[in-house]
Amino acid sequence: MIPPVQVSPLIKFTRYSALLVGMIYGKKRYDYLKPIAEEERRVEAEEKKKREELERIAKELAEGSPSV
Amino acid sequence: GCSMAQKLVQALSTRGPQLLSAAVAYSKPRLATFWYYAKVELAPPTPAEIPRAIDSMKAVIRGFQTGRLAQLTVREAVRNGLVATEVLMWFYIGEIIGKRGIIGYNV
Repeated sequence: MIPPVQVSPLIKFTRYSALLVGMIYGKKRYDYLKPIAEEERRVEAEEKKKREELERIAKELAEGSPSV
Repeated sequence: GCSMAQKLVQALSTRGPQLLSAAVAYSKPRLATFWYYAKVELAPPTPAEIPRAIDSMKAVIRGFQTGRLAQLTVREAVRNGLVATEVLMWFYIGEIIGKRGIIGYNV
């Protein structure tokens, strides 16, 4: 087997620094995006409830009017 | 009835350990080779190597300043580009680890 290559310390250092910076960046961005996504989900659930309420009223009106 | 599912389960339970041991036997020497190279090539820098890394970085910056850039062969430039791309990919691997998801942020 050919012997392993001796990687220059500069490359090793930059590789692992890039890895570390990437981990920190990923974690920070995740923490930033999480509350935004939760807020969006909350708003979406509220609007869905309102829409369903309106649909229910509209359906009741539609069912009610023939018998009126 | 579900005879095909039963046959599959039967086949798995009898052939399963065989396949598993075959897979282990196949992968063991290859893992050993991988580890043999990874121990040297993928290892993080020891604290003693950090000053050498800083010196190399200074040499690169000095090379930029003295215009050695114009004397680079295309082959060297391509090789440096590939190395830089590989280092950049480690950043994205780190991001995957940090966001705990492979594709996208699972918020």
